[in-house]
Amino acid sequence: MFLPEVSYNWSEIRAGLDKIMAVLTCALFALGVVSIYSAGKGVRSSTVVFVVRQLIWGGASAAVYIVILRVGYRNFIRLGFWLYAFTFFCLVVLFFKGVASKGAVRWFRFGVISFQPAELGKVSLILFMSRFCARRPPENIKNLILTLAMCGSSVIMILLQPDLGSALVYIAIIFAILAVAGTPVKYLTWLVITGLCATPILWKSMRAYQKLRLFVFLDPYIDPQGAGYNVIQSRIAVGSGGLWGKGFLQGTQGKLHFLPEPHTDFIFSVFAEEFGFIGGIIVIALFACLFWRMLRGAFRVKDIRAKLLCIGVVAWLWFQVMESIAMSMGLAPITGLPMPLFSYGGSSLLMVAIALALVQSVAVSPVKENFAHF
Amino acid sequence: MYKALDHFDFDHRLMYVRNIFIFSLLFLVAGLVYFQLVKADEYVDLASRNRLRMIRLPSPRGNIYDANGVPLAVNVRTFEIRAYPMDIRLDEDYESTANLFARHGIPMTSEDLRERVERQYVAPYRAISVVGNLTLAQVSDLVMDDEFSRRLFPSPVWRRIYPAGALAAHVVGNVGEITREELEDQRDLYYQAGDIIGKNGVELMYEGELRGTVGEQVVEVDSRGRRLRNVNYNDPQKGTDLNLTLDLAAQREALRLMEGRKGALVAMDVNDGAVKVLMSLPAFDPNPLTWGISAREWSALSGDPDKPMMNRVTGGAYPPGSIFKVVTAAALLMEKTVDPGKTTVYCPGYFRLGEPPRTFRCWRRSGHGSENILGALRDSCDVFFYQNGVKLGIDKLIEWGHDFGVGEPTGVDIPGEVSGNIAGRDWKRRRWSESWYQGDTVNYSIGQGYLLMTPMQLVRVYAAFANGGRLLTPRFNSVKKPEWRDVKVSKANMDIIRRGIRAVVASGTARVAGDYGVEVAGKTGTAQNSHGEDHAWFVGYAPADNPKYVAAALVEGGGSGSSVASPVVAQMLSYLLEHDK
Repeated sequence: MFLPEVSYNWSEIRAGLDKIMAVLTCALFALGVVSIYSAGKGVRSSTVVFVVRQLIWGGASAAVYIVILRVGYRNFIRLGFWLYAFTFFCLVVLFFKGVASKGAVRWFRFGVISFQPAELGKVSLILFMSRFCARRPPENIKNLILTLAMCGSSVIMILLQPDLGSALVYIAIIFAILAVAGTPVKYLTWLVITGLCATPILWKSMRAYQKLRLFVFLDPYIDPQGAGYNVIQSRIAVGSGGLWGKGFLQGTQGKLHFLPEPHTDFIFSVFAEEFGFIGGIIVIALFACLFWRMLRGAFRVKDIRAKLLCIGVVAWLWFQVMESIAMSMGLAPITGLPMPLFSYGGSSLLMVAIALALVQSVAVSPVKENFAHF
Repeated sequence: MYKALDHFDFDHRLMYVRNIFIFSLLFLVAGLVYFQLVKADEYVDLASRNRLRMIRLPSPRGNIYDANGVPLAVNVRTFEIRAYPMDIRLDEDYESTANLFARHGIPMTSEDLRERVERQYVAPYRAISVVGNLTLAQVSDLVMDDEFSRRLFPSPVWRRIYPAGALAAHVVGNVGEITREELEDQRDLYYQAGDIIGKNGVELMYEGELRGTVGEQVVEVDSRGRRLRNVNYNDPQKGTDLNLTLDLAAQREALRLMEGRKGALVAMDVNDGAVKVLMSLPAFDPNPLTWGISAREWSALSGDPDKPMMNRVTGGAYPPGSIFKVVTAAALLMEKTVDPGKTTVYCPGYFRLGEPPRTFRCWRRSGHGSENILGALRDSCDVFFYQNGVKLGIDKLIEWGHDFGVGEPTGVDIPGEVSGNIAGRDWKRRRWSESWYQGDTVNYSIGQGYLLMTPMQLVRVYAAFANGGRLLTPRFNSVKKPEWRDVKVSKANMDIIRRGIRAVVASGTARVAGDYGVEVAGKTGTAQNSHGEDHAWFVGYAPADNPKYVAAALVEGGGSGSSVASPVVAQMLSYLLEHDK
């Protein structure tokens, strides 16, 4: 089914694998599992269900990671257009379902399995854009507008859901890929200015609860029992961790149920309360190293599509890391985006694993290119 | 294969973007330095003292009074016991708390309690109601018990009482606990789960004014959730009182007049739109609805085939029947289809239309002989309106119907109003996939067919004739300014119709309405009812030459309008005029 030169065999994979990137990935996942375990151990209710499920999803994600590595990123890039078209179609269907049910609909449910097109859309957008921008470099205004129209339409569909958090991730991805693919600096500046001008329109279209979340981010004390409560409690959790933290399973904010959603949205707060400044710095450093290694492959590979793919994935993970850690300190509004590799949640973990496998596959590919040259 | 940019250095850009990403992580480091190192002591302190509990103190709602200051909705203070889920979520807590209540005569098991906690659970720090509806004596008895846990918080609750009961239920409405949908739909995020909110009637319409402002009490508790001290206290602010135009004594008279019947009776001031009487029967007692009734009682009430919850005056759409003839007459005169001095129609008791002829009967089988417009109104001659209605055409008739507000809500200040129907050709094609026949026009011209109106729309139309052309917006709020728009009917033509409907009572179909000491002008009507006996209508105003009040009565299954409905309206109007200050 696949052409031999675009997939890898085991010896190629073993020779080219970026082991440091793999280890960093596993380390972050492990720290996440530790935090999820701690988050589940409340004073009045205690559960290990989340840890067990996360480990099962971790195993499944590892298997998918290996399969993708074997198939190779080139085959996925070929599928990019169709994947992207499919997710766009799903988003349109969701929009009409949402209109019919008069509320935000972000999921398709098939019995026990639920599927969130916005998650899949991140991977398919990156695959699609990498190829598209390599074929039609956004160096001139025509190609740039074409790219923006193709990618921006799914951003609009997501904003209509409304899912502001995911839409911002998409925007980060699109901007990063455009920047690396050769958009002139003049156009990039214009894009930023246009984006800033569009903000008031966005503000008008937001629902009351979304606005309240933003206000609360600016001053959590305006509504300490409602939306501001979460921000205040999370900030207390992080701040009271101090230099060394309170120790594993010793956090009081999480244990006494002051933190809402401790295993998903506020997972970093649980971690920072128990492992303190030192722990927090380690996690940030691990992410910094991970991003560095992810782009190391991009510098080595000759395939422009692969370079764009890597920066797209980095932009995505970077945005979610920035957002969820800043949010835990009350420095960013609450959007409900998970912290990559850390937060509890099977589908987002799986999508991050797929993306990291594609990047790993790029890292492996120079081996192949070298073979081909000889 | 790909058109790479030879002159463009991708790796250079890549390096830039990478550096931006990686260095921006320093922002997070700076945040951690600030919160975990610089401010650490402050937050450690806050975490150890993180024992504040916010208690929402509900505000008493504004009272609702009738036109004479008689209370229609007031508050009485009751008590409830609240607790925080985070404080009572252990099995032994459930057990001991339930035992405590059981000992003091409040039936409860630990399963009941657990079920209640789980049903109301929002977050561990959100108080839930453990028991409600307690008297002061019960609360003091409980609090005196040595085992009354300090994790339980007695707090006052305002219970809404409707002293008039069913008598004013459809106007005043009732309150109830906010539903999940209402919570999600709210615009200003004021409400929380468990709040009391207006559900219908004036209680819903004026929710914003009536509700007041909730207060808040902040208490500090110890590590086991027991109350230590009060930290902050904001008084709740009572809502604004509301004075209605409704007259409770007149309501009582209305109930007496309509006793034993199903239907509606409504009376309004013709000059300012103040609604004096609104009686919809059968009615319901709103009091049980405010304390939460059992599912069985609720389904009995809401599933009753007589629909006691429906406000028939604003929410019931009926064929207006002959009452509508004043609108047809106005259209005929204004469009000059009928010349008041000359046009006469010979009524043989039937009207034949089309080929093969379809026969439409006059209500009087023997016929009225020769009728002009005045006589046609007085005798309610159907044939006159059949023949001229077809001449006028449906589009003009509908246009004049709209001028009188038919087919649109009156804008009265209670919710749940329906628009009725005066739809024409397009609607029929869409709804029934049939084109409009002249026979439909014939039906419309005497207020039958697809035509539907509410009693409130009809009093509004007759008030416009009474006051010289102002189509008023009915209102219950006495401080609201009167609002109206002018109908396009000329003064001279109005006078003709007024003379016609005065003759109805003086010498026409509703002579019986003339026996109650007031000069009534009005019109009888029969609403065809496919489910049983026809409904009887009468709408009229009095005194005929200087009108003050207009009233409409609809008696479901009352047969023809003249014998049943017209005495009700006449007596209602005479009561109102007699008691006018």
